[in-house]
Amino acid sequence: MLRFVLRRVLLVLPVLFGLLVLTFVLVRVVPNDPSAALAGQNATPQQIAEIRAKYGFDQPLIVQFGIYLRQVAQADLGTSIQSGRPVARDILQRLPATLELTFAALFLGAGLGVPLGVLAAVRHNTWLDHALRFFTVGGVAIASFWFAIMLQLLFSMQLDLLPLRGRLGTAMAPPAQWTGLLLLDSLLAWRLDAFVDAVRHLALPAVTLSLGAMATITRFTRSGVLETLEKEYVLYEIAAGYPRWLLVAVYVLRNSVVATITQIGLLFGALLAGAVVVESIYDWPGIGSYAVAAIFTSDYKAILAVTLLVGVVYSIVNILVDLIHGLVDRRVAAEL
Amino acid sequence: MTRRLLVLIVLGFLALVPTAGPAAAQDSVMVWGDALPSNLDPHDPYDVPAALIQLNVYDNLYRYQGNPPQLQPWLAESHAASKDGRTWEFTLRKGLKFHDGSELGADDVVWSIKRILGLGKAAAGPLKAAKIESVAAVDKHTVRFVLERPYAPFLSIIPVATIVNRRVIEPHVRGNDWGNAWLASNGAGSGAYVPDPASYIPTKALDLKRNPRHFMGWSHNQKPIDLIRVRPVAETTTRVLALMKGEIDAGDSYLPTDQVERLSKVKDVVVQRNESMRIFIIRMNNTKPPFDNVHFRRCMSHAFNYDAFIGVILKNFAERNPAPIPKNLWGFPEGVKGYDFDLAQAKAECDKARAQGAPVDREIQLHIQTALDQTTQAAQLFQSDAKKLGLNMKVVPNTWPNLTASTGKPETTPDMWIHWVSAYFIDPENWIGTMYDSQFHGTWKASAWYKNDKVDELLRAARANPNREERAKLYAQAARLVVGDAPDIWVYNTVELRGMRGRVKGFKFSPVGSGSELRWMSLAAN
Amino acid sequence: MLVLRKFARDTSGMVGLVIVLTAVVVAVLAPRLAPHPLDAYESHPLRRLQAPSDASPFGTDNLGRDVLSRVILGTRAALSIALLVVAGAMLIGVPLGLVAGYYRGWMPEVIMRVTDVFLAVPQLILALALAQLLGPSLRNAMLALTLTYWPFFTRIVFAETRRIRVSVFVEALEGLNAGAGRVMFAHILPNAAPPIIVRATIGMGFTILSAAVLGFLGMGATPPDPEWGLAIAESRQYLPEAWWFATFPGLAIFLVVFGFNLLGDGLRDVVDPRLRRSR
Repeated sequence: MLRFVLRRVLLVLPVLFGLLVLTFVLVRVVPNDPSAALAGQNATPQQIAEIRAKYGFDQPLIVQFGIYLRQVAQADLGTSIQSGRPVARDILQRLPATLELTFAALFLGAGLGVPLGVLAAVRHNTWLDHALRFFTVGGVAIASFWFAIMLQLLFSMQLDLLPLRGRLGTAMAPPAQWTGLLLLDSLLAWRLDAFVDAVRHLALPAVTLSLGAMATITRFTRSGVLETLEKEYVLYEIAAGYPRWLLVAVYVLRNSVVATITQIGLLFGALLAGAVVVESIYDWPGIGSYAVAAIFTSDYKAILAVTLLVGVVYSIVNILVDLIHGLVDRRVAAEL
Repeated sequence: MTRRLLVLIVLGFLALVPTAGPAAAQDSVMVWGDALPSNLDPHDPYDVPAALIQLNVYDNLYRYQGNPPQLQPWLAESHAASKDGRTWEFTLRKGLKFHDGSELGADDVVWSIKRILGLGKAAAGPLKAAKIESVAAVDKHTVRFVLERPYAPFLSIIPVATIVNRRVIEPHVRGNDWGNAWLASNGAGSGAYVPDPASYIPTKALDLKRNPRHFMGWSHNQKPIDLIRVRPVAETTTRVLALMKGEIDAGDSYLPTDQVERLSKVKDVVVQRNESMRIFIIRMNNTKPPFDNVHFRRCMSHAFNYDAFIGVILKNFAERNPAPIPKNLWGFPEGVKGYDFDLAQAKAECDKARAQGAPVDREIQLHIQTALDQTTQAAQLFQSDAKKLGLNMKVVPNTWPNLTASTGKPETTPDMWIHWVSAYFIDPENWIGTMYDSQFHGTWKASAWYKNDKVDELLRAARANPNREERAKLYAQAARLVVGDAPDIWVYNTVELRGMRGRVKGFKFSPVGSGSELRWMSLAAN
Repeated sequence: MLVLRKFARDTSGMVGLVIVLTAVVVAVLAPRLAPHPLDAYESHPLRRLQAPSDASPFGTDNLGRDVLSRVILGTRAALSIALLVVAGAMLIGVPLGLVAGYYRGWMPEVIMRVTDVFLAVPQLILALALAQLLGPSLRNAMLALTLTYWPFFTRIVFAETRRIRVSVFVEALEGLNAGAGRVMFAHILPNAAPPIIVRATIGMGFTILSAAVLGFLGMGATPPDPEWGLAIAESRQYLPEAWWFATFPGLAIFLVVFGFNLLGDGLRDVVDPRLRRSR
């Protein structure tokens, strides 16, 4: 088992190195002078020169790459144009908001997607199955930004049921910060008013973000369950008179959990990408809205840092998924 | 534990039921929904949002108040200028204190000026233009500036210089950054409000606490607001809706005209309408053919549909301003007609330009600021009419930082771009002076790259002349010449629109800072 | 023929096909179908923000342009962007996948590691970063989407090639001294075509969505292009009053992407026996 874990972790190292190369190359494809771009608005020639020296733009590429590696190793991602602060600090401050949103979306997606998928499989080829198929194909066809706007239109503007934006009402004092995850922090501080408020704020963004994930999970659970139901031993046991629902509950769920976990790894990337759009529409103070603000201010360092970070987070999540997968299903571990 | 779980489940359901009444209606806290500047250093960003920090956290020697804006003694109680206009002395009030209780004296003023110039960020622009030869503390309460040559608008630009607390900043200085990295998310001022660094999330959140010991006292305001939560709402529609729902007490000063009607219908919301000094301009790069041809520029000036834009799209919440000086400021060339929308005339001018060999038919790029919808609408309207003239105009989305960086050289300056010139200081110098004197080439305000020796001469004479009446004549004369050359397209002077909750009382507008001086405001009980 | 008949029996796949064909027809005939084809760029301030009526069934936008016409004209933009991006991505991704799958040694290793790196960042985020760095324009947005989409093809083609590579007929061809290029393109590629076609179909839908996101964020199409994502971005500040302005372009995106996904699904069921069983 230990060998499997080590192997899996080692496999990701070339990818992480590649990410560094990729983000390094990205700046060098800017058609303008990268030093001027990084120095930002109203930079004096002297400031541009300082940037050039700091990043070594006048030196050979390999030296520049060495400088870049050293800066990343020291968590020095440069100063953000939008905030005048180190990018790393901005991102750390905003990361919990994004994690809370993506986990909530994942939770919603799996929590509803798995039962729906089982339902579709058990009611195979009925009208319910067809309706759910419409949902699974349609769910990934909706532009998330449009869906977000439509939800705002309906639930915030017309019905006035849920808040429009943000993580917490403007008048609500935030709970003491432990983890940065508001739901958790408000519980730890036993601030139920803040908890309720945070849940209300989380509802629309999480639903928006989870739609695609839910559709995908439903679909994979359905085909996983169908596949299991057609396995010989299951057919045999149906013939032997075991109730169908029991078989579904016992065999199918175990298998579909494995399948769902694998999917989650892949979905996490889609969720992070979706968060960029969803956060900016709901004014959610995470790294997604940070990235969009960076785009509007040509804040290159922030954009690159977010790209790097998302790549790293995504890779780590995929390792975790593989590890869990290996724990649940020893055969996979043996194969690797 | 199970009881807690039960409570949680019940709360989960409750969360989906709307709570009664708007959430923000707290009697002692105001939620300010206008933008935060990119950082809190008052000597760094120099744009409309920066005024919030500069006016509330910091003080200056003189300050603009009211509309039309009047210069009032602030930290200084008086000033004196030498006859030749080169030496300026400011006498400080006694007993001035920073937020940390330490004394604010002439040394701090001198250090602040040196910091602004040393840091050399956007906020240094006006001071640089004044060409300060030396600044020194004559005694504890007197500061003396000596200029390289007479600069008449000097007093007008003095409010740009905010005074910071040297003793607080100096321990945080790294290299030659003048403490910029630290001050970007902290405060070191003396103003009416104290920022709470713990609450600060860049561009998202900042709490301001009232400074009860502010030197101006609080006798002007019976019920000042003790705590102000600045919670910018990033996007226009969301901001308007947050205001309607009572989540915020004030919006920004760029309320789209389409929203005015809607907000006016909402109970407890008022729309503050104030004539300002903020000119909307479509810039042309006069160095790039065909823009180097005056007939082509006139053609463009006749091709923009001013009436449709101001009357229909902006619903008349703006006033046509046909020259590079705000209509409501001294120095405006009275009687100047400027250009009107006339496609026949535009065509005639374009034909003249074409006959003179100007490459009229090449693709013309019009850059907009993606984040500002009005620039997009103006560009599309313009593009649509230019098409009728057979011109090939292409709209290019861009950002403010990129655009201002690109105006450093004529080759990188776009063919055309759209922006406002706000009231940074109140003097024609802020508009025509810095826009069309060729010595400012390379700054975004002078991005037309206009050069006319006669205009240069007039503007320089106006700058050196201490007599306001004579200056007004010189600026008006220069403006007439500039309008004749049509280097840019001046569209309108802004009526600033800001949505506010009715419970906010005492809002006082000034074109400088767009009324974001918080010390005037109070909250009526609900 | 058997395959076609099987596909024809698949209702949802056929629905998808009908939607996609309709979209293609609309795109080709857009200037003829649109009631006001000039509204692609012409403004009419006096007619702005009018609710749907007989004159303009989808209402008018913030500059008085007919929303129906712009939705129709937008179909052409959406399909041509997606087609170019997917074709470009195939052009890069398929040969790389073939080479990586066919040869052994360090080269496939390098190609697949690079592919992994590109796949380690969600495509949209990488495309956004690239588009911003290149400068916002439709051309750069398409370039960014292409440069971030090819790895999906490489990965599929790689797996297929590895599978086919060991088959008897490839060995036989090699025995006949057939050139590597010939074996790859004339023999392996046709056998690997079905999954590529499925991926490309679904990729069309996916790219339409991504391009709309880029347009929405101001990184893609430029005004006054009648692009759907851009239209939704412009419509935001007129909500909720001018609901038609945001609603119809969004529905158009949904319908076309939905069509491509249904079609891709149907095709997959036909060509991929493993997944078909679970239907």
